[in-house]
Amino acid sequence: MSKSMEGVAKALESFETEYVENYKPTWFKAKLKSPDEIVAVAEAMKAEGLRTLSTVSPTDWPEEGIMEMNYFFEDLETKRNCWVKCEIPRDPERCEIDSITPVVPSAEWHEREAYSMFGVRFRNHPDLRYLILSPDYYGKFPFRADFDMAAHEKEQLEHVKEIVRDFKAEQEANDAELDPEGSEMVLNWGPTHPASGPIRLKVRCDGEDILGVDPEIGYVWRALENLVTRKDFVGAIVAVERLCFMDNINSMTGYCMAVEEIAGVEITPFAKWMRTLLGEIARISSHMMGTGNFYNTMGLHTIMLWNLDVREYFLDVLESYSGARIATAAIEPGGVRYPLDMKLMDELQRALDKFDATIGDIETVFAKNPTMRHRARKIGKISAQEAIDWGLSGPVLRASGVRSDVRLDEPYAAYDQVEMDYVTVPGGTAADRFQTIFEELKQSVKIIKQAKKRIEEGVASGEFDPSKDHMVKVPKKLPAGEAVSRVEWARGEVLMHLVTKEKAKSPYRLKMRAPSFNHTMVLDRLLRGKTLSDIPLVFGSMYVCQGDLDR
Amino acid sequence: MIKILDFFDYARSESLWMAHFCTGCCSLEMAAAMGPRYDWERYGYMPTPTPRQADVLMITGLVSKKILPALLRTYAQMPEPKYVMALGACSYDGGPYNDSLSVIKNPTEILPADVFVAGCPPKPEAIIEGLETIKQKIKNKEPSAASQGGLWKEMEF
Amino acid sequence: MLGTFIDAFVFPGLLYALVWTVGLFWFFRKFMAPLHKRVGPYFNGPHGSYQTLFDLSKLWTKESITPKGVNSYLFSIMPLLAVVIGLLPAAVVPWTPSGPALSSQYSLLILVVLIGIEPFLFFLTGFGSENKYSFLGGIRVLTQAISFETAFFLAALAPALFFGSLDLSVIVEKSSWGSFLILLPAFAIYFVALLGLLEQPPFNIPDAEQEVVYGFLTEYSGTNYFLLNLSKFVEFMAVFAGAGALYMGAYKGIFFDGYTWFFLKMVAVAVVMITIRAATPRITLNQMLAFSWRWLVPISLINLAWVLLARALFFS
Repeated sequence: MSKSMEGVAKALESFETEYVENYKPTWFKAKLKSPDEIVAVAEAMKAEGLRTLSTVSPTDWPEEGIMEMNYFFEDLETKRNCWVKCEIPRDPERCEIDSITPVVPSAEWHEREAYSMFGVRFRNHPDLRYLILSPDYYGKFPFRADFDMAAHEKEQLEHVKEIVRDFKAEQEANDAELDPEGSEMVLNWGPTHPASGPIRLKVRCDGEDILGVDPEIGYVWRALENLVTRKDFVGAIVAVERLCFMDNINSMTGYCMAVEEIAGVEITPFAKWMRTLLGEIARISSHMMGTGNFYNTMGLHTIMLWNLDVREYFLDVLESYSGARIATAAIEPGGVRYPLDMKLMDELQRALDKFDATIGDIETVFAKNPTMRHRARKIGKISAQEAIDWGLSGPVLRASGVRSDVRLDEPYAAYDQVEMDYVTVPGGTAADRFQTIFEELKQSVKIIKQAKKRIEEGVASGEFDPSKDHMVKVPKKLPAGEAVSRVEWARGEVLMHLVTKEKAKSPYRLKMRAPSFNHTMVLDRLLRGKTLSDIPLVFGSMYVCQGDLDR
Repeated sequence: MIKILDFFDYARSESLWMAHFCTGCCSLEMAAAMGPRYDWERYGYMPTPTPRQADVLMITGLVSKKILPALLRTYAQMPEPKYVMALGACSYDGGPYNDSLSVIKNPTEILPADVFVAGCPPKPEAIIEGLETIKQKIKNKEPSAASQGGLWKEMEF
Repeated sequence: MLGTFIDAFVFPGLLYALVWTVGLFWFFRKFMAPLHKRVGPYFNGPHGSYQTLFDLSKLWTKESITPKGVNSYLFSIMPLLAVVIGLLPAAVVPWTPSGPALSSQYSLLILVVLIGIEPFLFFLTGFGSENKYSFLGGIRVLTQAISFETAFFLAALAPALFFGSLDLSVIVEKSSWGSFLILLPAFAIYFVALLGLLEQPPFNIPDAEQEVVYGFLTEYSGTNYFLLNLSKFVEFMAVFAGAGALYMGAYKGIFFDGYTWFFLKMVAVAVVMITIRAATPRITLNQMLAFSWRWLVPISLINLAWVLLARALFFS
């Protein structure tokens, strides 16, 4: 690894900054004096190797009259990250900044989101339209501190009418634009579609050939980032875990790490191991659905059902621990929510036995299926360079051969003591993505076995007290602060940017960067020129969950 | 003659097909209900790919403003007699998203549901129990709730 | 007179087709379930055997929606036509040793042509539905039918060439273990073409849920959907019966001859079909076209040469 953290510092030197500090071993934090330099900074970062923008997160400060922009640059290969801040006026007329999308393509949708939610206008953005929002919010910027939600919510049915009008106008515009004698048409792939879930891909196609795809998202937009600001720090986990139910533990872990950082609390080793254990169980339950869904898109439901069979046993463990199969709310700032009853380990062993007994069959029948490989090897190819430029993460990134995994790059919980390696598959096609997810299933089981052994040993030797160690006290009121935490979620990197005010009882701002956002962003690039048969397969292989897509 | 009609009513109650439409997280537990452990096909439930062949529309959890027109359109496309089942806390009053700015707080005032299934998300057993309740409703010859009222009748979608 | 009536409405006519539909639908679901590690229909009747009866009765009595803007004549007549065309082949199949309901020298020809017409009716249903997905599904049915019917006809021609007759009764009478072995390659081709014609995985492209919703069936509901479903299952019956009569000696069996043997042979074909369905993902339209024209059709031509050679060698 020739490139070091000093290189990042050097790249920042040539700009006028208020401060540059070592925020974490792998993070630099800098504040620019002038927002006009942001494009130059992005270029410098790109030249240094930090080619991916994780997300853009504006923070609204109405008293000071400023909108604070946070840019999170990442180098996915060499574990170097940089957090760049700058300030722009919050007055809607002057709330402008240069877009960095022409330099860093992965910023495209993140800037659109910042525009939709906060009204930050990005100059030179190639396609600055509203994203996620329903038409009744157009031009209202709901995440601004002075947005009057109560007044807006009074006329709910009026809003629905507006949405319907907008939809009908769009369909009419399509009809007017397309030649009635021609074979071109616009298909609405979703939300009422057997394979889509709540997302609408506006597919422009000529017969079976795709000319372009424009994803319309926001059908499960719950405004979680706004919702948490009205809950206390513990209550917020309910919203955070609903990022996507398939893997809820790891998103809670990310949020709790950010809270603990601001509170200055260190959790016990036992709680760290529990977070690892539960996190991997949730990852398995998500990957089981992911691999099943991949085959569902090709009309074969058998693997999904076989996977569900195994998944139930892992959900049993979560249920025994927390009382809920899916909405566990099991991770809390300060540790894990419940003390551990060691009988849970027997249940876990049952799940592991079931997994070991079934995984061989699944591998022979499905993972090595020649028809699937024949079909999926040819489509959805993403090279390593493209994957990095587009800011993909998780199994999708590793399927392109990039060695990147937050669990190893920036260890959290007890992952620094776990024996594991990057699961990478070269190739970057849909089949390789399936392969990666499948291999990660086995990896997760290995991690669970290690965690289980460590906890059992620790409890036996009296090092851990499962009835007390699960939690350390976190104050109800937190000091003013700002923290960034990253976790490897089942679908990829989740970045939590938490801002608190002095003596705050609830988060002032929480930005959740979720992987499906970038994965959906690239669908158009992957599907253009392919046929209709490829839409579900590519969509399924990108491992998208609409929950974390819309948040 | 009455006996024959009774047979068809009975057949209708014993064969409920679901429209495949997910608006929220509860569809995850719906998948589990289809799975090997709970296997709702034992009772004759089956998902269909298009609303045209469905008998039951499931509101799977939250209904956002953006998806509501699609939900109503799906309901309108279903053939009579049709029933609505609301899953989870969200479809009752918004649940955990009660004060969220994009979620409809009273989806069942707009599209009244015949059965509510409690939980967040409801367990698969509860979903099956809810469907059994609809069966009983059909056997008792009760009219579906959405045909009796609801704001959807006045709405354009 | 009474005989004709029984032929048309009881066996092998309408009632037989209905019973067959209910039974096969149940068998598909019940046999598929253990492959999925499930139980399948269970609570209605012994092993859920009333379930599909209820399902189909329900469809029959539900509202039939005719969407706005469709050609209502085309939309409503096609399902009926599909059932009628689907029922006809049963008349020429020699179900029992006493021969078919309608004997003809050209019964094989009647069988394959009537089976071959069915996809075109499905195309028209999709075409008349005024729905983008139905239309795409209709086009897919047509593409697939054209690709597979060539191989299907050529495979069905093999027994006719071998036995020198287009009469199914003659083919069945002359068939033996020897002819079964010689016609085995033709049977394999017939089976692959059957998967394509009946839209079964890996060739379930026309009604691929995840791609084109439900293909040509997307807009159909109630009675019309019931009729289309019926016609599909009746088509299954005709194609399975074709396989049984052409290659497996129809009603001929060990110890005794009779319909039971024919039935078991058709079920055997269904079992293989469902097992393939439970373990094979769908391929794309392009792959299907390439497979059909590059491999299946040339192989079926070679197979004809083999059949003629075998006949000259062993049976002249």
